Amino acid sequence: MPLGLNFTQIFLHLFNFLLLFAILYFLLYKPVKDFMEKRAKTYRDLDNETRTNLKESEETKALYDSKIANADSEISQMKQKSHQDIEKNREAQIKAAKDEAERIIKEAKDEAVREKERIMEEAQTEISEMVADATEKLALKATSSEAFDQFLNAVDLAEERGSKHEQ
Amino acid sequence: MTKKQQRKMTIIFGVIGVLLVAGIVMTAGSYTQEEDVVTVIRDSVIHDTNKIDLFGLEVNPGLIAGFAVTGILTVFALIVRIFVIPRFTLVPGKFQMVLEWLVGYFSGLSETNSPRKNRLLGAYVFAAGFYIFAGTMFELFGIQAVTTSGHSVALPAPLSDVNGAIMMGCTSYLFIVLGGILNNGVGGLGGALKEFSLPISMSFRLFGALVSGAIVTELVYHYMGLSYVLPVIIGVLFTCLHALIQAYVLTMLVALFYGEVSEPSEKKLSKLSAKAQKTKSQTA
Repeated sequence: MPLGLNFTQIFLHLFNFLLLFAILYFLLYKPVKDFMEKRAKTYRDLDNETRTNLKESEETKALYDSKIANADSEISQMKQKSHQDIEKNREAQIKAAKDEAERIIKEAKDEAVREKERIMEEAQTEISEMVADATEKLALKATSSEAFDQFLNAVDLAEERGSKHEQ
Repeated sequence: MTKKQQRKMTIIFGVIGVLLVAGIVMTAGSYTQEEDVVTVIRDSVIHDTNKIDLFGLEVNPGLIAGFAVTGILTVFALIVRIFVIPRFTLVPGKFQMVLEWLVGYFSGLSETNSPRKNRLLGAYVFAAGFYIFAGTMFELFGIQAVTTSGHSVALPAPLSDVNGAIMMGCTSYLFIVLGGILNNGVGGLGGALKEFSLPISMSFRLFGALVSGAIVTELVYHYMGLSYVLPVIIGVLFTCLHALIQAYVLTMLVALFYGEVSEPSEKKLSKLSAKAQKTKSQTA
């Protein structure tokens, strides 16, 4: 063949190259490419995850920013509300105290009236008992004048006692 | 750089230059060659003199170099697969970065030029680029082999053998044709066959580039006045440049033509757009 061309050698070169192609593909190209693709996927996933997290944190930040912006007005509202509550409580307590005082005074007055009535009853009972005693004594022991004087003295004494009790 | 440093550098380079000239003059006449330069250059192109015995078959040294390169790359790939790839980390080390850059470059080349069904193309250009680069760099090592006539020859780049270059050009073309058929059926085959000059141009571009490098290096080695230091610089630089440029050119051409023949035809495009519109209207 001209120029040293030789088909046998061409086929031997071809066999050699195809063998090398297969070896390089399975031992180098494919494993390295697979690794690179896997790593790219890992980083892509990480990137997506980071983007999602970033979005979520931005939303949370916006939420808290708005909360902070509203916090002053919320605090003043709460203050006002607590002032109102305190005022209501105070008024309620004062009213309760007044009611209690009125009740106590009323009870005291009632008690005093009842006491007075009781004392009057006791005084009347004593007077009538004394009058009965004196009458009995007069009828049994003394003369009629003495008895009359004693009777008068006993009546005076009973009246004095009654007036003292009334005072 | 200060003036003192400049003076120092000038003196150092001057002394080296004087020593080189002295070496050339003093060794003149003591350097002999087994073959004259014409024979060597003719053998670089036609390979009719130095043959190597391969199981009873006389083959060019380039084929033996090809097998050697495949063996070396296989061992390298096995070591990487067993010891390096399982220890890959998310944050790559230096070697991992180089490997990823290589795979990423060829994968990116295929994805850029052929947006559809490009995984096989990526693997092909990776293998072809690796073979051309490693094969061309292989000649730097100057591994010796014994010819059938008993001479010792340094194994050349596998693709500086015309048979190797033709194989690479034709295989690349067949791969492009295959891409056309896989992506566009008979239409793709027609598109690929229109580029019938491609295997010849790719084969001989590769062969010419590598042989011209070999010829220049041989010429430099054969002339006494140039045989100090220059062969090292020229040999290494030419080889590195060839390795890079040829690997880049062939892989780029394959990716470009593959992308061209795998593009959907106008008929197919109109069908696809009609289908897309129908889907859109249904969704709406």
